[in-house]
Parts: sequence; structure tokens; C-alpha cells
Amino acid sequence: MTKKVSLEVDLGPLHLKNPIMPASGTFDVMCTLLNENELNKLGAVVPKSIAFKGREGNPEPRTCETDCGLLNAVGVPSKGVEYFIKEELPLLKKANKIIIVSLLGDSVEDFCNLAGYLNKVEEISALEINLSCPNLNNGIPFGVNEDKLYELIINIKKNSSKPIIAKLSPNVSDIKKMALSVQNAGAEIITISNTFMGMAIDVDKQLPRLGNKIGGLSGPAIRPIVVRMIWEIAQVIDIPMIGVGGICCAEDAIEMFLAGASAVQVGSANFSNPYVMLEIINEIKEYLIRKKYSSIRDIIGLVRR
Amino acid sequence: MLTKGKIIKQVNLNNNYYRIKIKAPQIAKEAKPGQFVMLSKWKINEIFLKRPFSFYKIESNLGTFDILYKKIGKGTKILAESKIGDLVELIGPLGNGFKIPKNTHNIAIVARGIGIATLMPLILESKQKGIGVYSFISAQTENLLLYSDKIESISRETFYTTDDGSKGAKGKVTNFLEKVLKRIVIDVVYTCGSKRLTKHIRDLQKTYNFLSFVSLEEHMACGIGACKGCVHKTKDGYKRVCKEGPVFPVEEVIFND
Repeated sequence: MTKKVSLEVDLGPLHLKNPIMPASGTFDVMCTLLNENELNKLGAVVPKSIAFKGREGNPEPRTCETDCGLLNAVGVPSKGVEYFIKEELPLLKKANKIIIVSLLGDSVEDFCNLAGYLNKVEEISALEINLSCPNLNNGIPFGVNEDKLYELIINIKKNSSKPIIAKLSPNVSDIKKMALSVQNAGAEIITISNTFMGMAIDVDKQLPRLGNKIGGLSGPAIRPIVVRMIWEIAQVIDIPMIGVGGICCAEDAIEMFLAGASAVQVGSANFSNPYVMLEIINEIKEYLIRKKYSSIRDIIGLVRR
Repeated sequence: MLTKGKIIKQVNLNNNYYRIKIKAPQIAKEAKPGQFVMLSKWKINEIFLKRPFSFYKIESNLGTFDILYKKIGKGTKILAESKIGDLVELIGPLGNGFKIPKNTHNIAIVARGIGIATLMPLILESKQKGIGVYSFISAQTENLLLYSDKIESISRETFYTTDDGSKGAKGKVTNFLEKVLKRIVIDVVYTCGSKRLTKHIRDLQKTYNFLSFVSLEEHMACGIGACKGCVHKTKDGYKRVCKEGPVFPVEEVIFND
């Protein structure tokens, strides 16, 4: 007999049937191997960041595998918001009830225009603000400066009534300050973290391995740093958190729940195993049964003390 | 699709070159020349990503396919140490394969070294269709001209160049292509991987009238189009090698110098 356990979580104003979703940039509804039924099993879907106008992205090579990780400088190619609404959104609507749209801008005005534009789109459940893409020169100031972060979120809130998720940059000296800043500005949810700035060099060619020279590191290598950040932020904020960074299996996800995350995103592990999110959902249920919990809510922040 | 495959044969051809036969009926049934699979024979905590491999031979009736590969890194080292009966995880078949346009009478294939791995199923398919195959093969040295006997047996004419002159001539293998183009109508020229050869072919296209396709190689993370990592510059902007490719018309591809 299968025992019932609940994976339902509340993420501020969002109610998710389970806390597992893809990380932006690692999932594309136009070419996923998951069918509609499988996509509906996820807690939410999160497409790759969109920009108002189309943008090409960085020169190749854009990726380079490192020990226990992936360095990328894809640079957020986007076909723009109109293409997104016309081509991607209809597929996302079929895929899942909860659609979290990740936004990229290069100025406060740019972010606000995009947020305002998408505010009218009923099917979008929340906006995740990409504050940290390390591959864009113009993305850096928001994520690493607490005052700029505050100003940006305040202004986005003026242009959108959707729940705002601030996806913080980890490339800062004190992540707690950044978390407090976006909470004070009215963000309903925090995503922590994005990739960590890194670099790899080909010693034969004596050249950087990425076309953009520097990139963002993801994968299992960064997970302990993210777990620490979740745990630190949980001590100082009241709003819920989505943990992301290097999750490859249920145990990795559970670490983040215990540290204080209410939901998690699975990123580059989707590249190795396109079904990994579905496997994680099932394995979390098994963990809760084994540990005699009836709900995932019971373990969120257990290690916060 | 994501599926398991079983290794049923592996041969060390010479030095670091291997040929492996994998039983995976669903993939073998759908695979076409020029397509590829993402493969792992390791856990995600050993090596993070799968590796792309093109099909060297497709036997859909037997439910098998072969991969020809060079042992160069951690992943191919693990693959080279495989035993018969070992399982691999596969996603595929992926990408768009080689197209043979209607009314094609003669094709040329231009390959360097391991590049023949991608082109071999195309040669076999062309032969089956009664299309004349002219092969232009180059390598560093003679023993890296892989499966030259087989290529010769299928091709109407085969030309070799080696960097050290150990077989065929030294110099550009595309010089031989030009000589053939002067006396025979070649409808399509196919090549794989080498930027230098692709550029030579593009130069020849200006003088001789033929279609031309190149199978490109790039670092891939997902292989299915999701990560946007494996792009190559084209006349229409960046395109994903795994999704829009790996085969592109030569005239569309832009190489950075």
C-alpha cells in the first residue's frame, strides 16, 4: 500500500503541487523530451530568461565541462517578448498551471517595460528577475549592489502586480544584505542562487575555453556554497526561498529544504538526464515516507537553528 | 528518447582509435546518416555530462549501431575500458542528418582523420542508391586513414593525402577534388568537422557548380536544443549544432578567424 505524503508547498502567493521546477536556461518547452503529462507533474515551469528585444547571445564556444560542473557563457540569447508570447507561451500553458517567467533587462527602464508588458498576460504566475547573469557586462551592477537591487525591485513592483521573484547573484561578499534589500523592496520570493563566475583555460592552445572568456559555473561543484547561502539567508528574511545550484538527485534537493528553501530548481542536471526532475519528485516522496513525515513542509528549514 | 544500450562488441583499431557496437533497437530503428546520440557510461557524479557521438554504422534490422571514436578525454577513456555486456545510457537519435537531394548522380566526400566516422553511413546509403561516390581522405599519417580498404571498395575513385607523405600525396586533399570536378559532374560534396577543408570546398564552389554540406562539431551540454550552448555562427545568426544541425549547407556557415 502506498502511503500518502504531500509535496504541496506555498511559495508566498504561489501554491505549488510540488516544489520541483527547472532552473531558467536549462529547460526549453520547444525541445524538451518530457511530454505534456510529464511536464504537468512538475511544480512549475520556468523558461529561459527573455529580453524585451531579441538578442544573439555570446560567441562560441559557449560551454565547457569542468570537474563536477559546467562552465557556460551562453549569454541569454532571446527571440524577444513577442516571440515568447506567440510561440512559447501556448506550449507552456499546456505544460503546467504555474508558469514562472524569467526576465532579463539591461536597465531599470528595460526591466520595467518588460515587467509591465507581461503584467497583462494572465497565464503568467510570477516573474523571476534575473539579477545575476554573469555573462553580460550590463547585468553585473544590479546583482552586486544592494541599493541598485532595491531600486530595481521597487520600480518593477510599480509596473507589475505579479509576484516578483528576485534571483540573486551569488558573486557578492555578503548575500544576506542582498536578500534583505530585495525583501525590503517588496519581492515576494527569492531564488538563490545563479551560477558562480569562473574561467577555464586550454593549456595547449593557451587560450580561454569560452568564447566570452569568463562564464558561470553550475553543477554539483557549487552546491555546498548554495546550501550555505540558503542557510544564511534563512536566518534573516521572512519571505520564502527557491534553492538552485547543482541539484542532481533527491538528496541534493532535500539538503536545500533542510537549509530553509521552500522549493528548488534543477538546472544543468537536466542536460545529463532529461527525466531527473521527475525522478527527484518520486525520491523525495520515498524520503518523507522513510522519515515518517506526512508533508514536505515539515522539513523546510529544519536545520535553520 | 532516453534509453539504455548494451555494448556487444569493441575493437581497438590502432593507437587511440576504437570502434564500438551498441545494441539499442529503438535508436537503431530511427537513426539516419549524419545524426548522433548523447551517450554516458558513467554516473552524473563521475562525469557530469553525456558525450555526443555520430553513427558510424546503422543496422536497424539488427537493432545495433556502431560508433568510431578517438580516446581523448575522461569519457572516451571510460568507454574504451568497457566490457561486452556493459550498459550505456543514450539519448537519440538527435539532430538533422545528411540529405541526398533528388536526382543526385555523383557525390564527393571529403574527410580528415576521424571525420570519416560521420560520413561512412552516408557513403553506404549512397552506394545502395546507386550514386557514385568519390572519396577524398586525409590524415596525419597512413595508419590514421581509417577503413581505407572499405572506402576504396565502395568508392568509384579514392584519393589520399597524408601530412608526412606516408600514403598518397602531401598537401591539400581538395586539390584532388578540384581535378575530379574538372572532368566529372559532382552534384553534392559532403564534409565533416575540419574548418580548413570546409573553407577549401567553399572556394571551389565559386568555380564549380555543386551543393555542399558540412557536419559541424561543437561542445554540447544537452544535445537536444535546450541549453543553447553548441551554437555556430551562420549567415542567419547563431544556430544550434545539435538542433538545427549538425549538418549545414557550407555556404551558410561562418568561421571566425
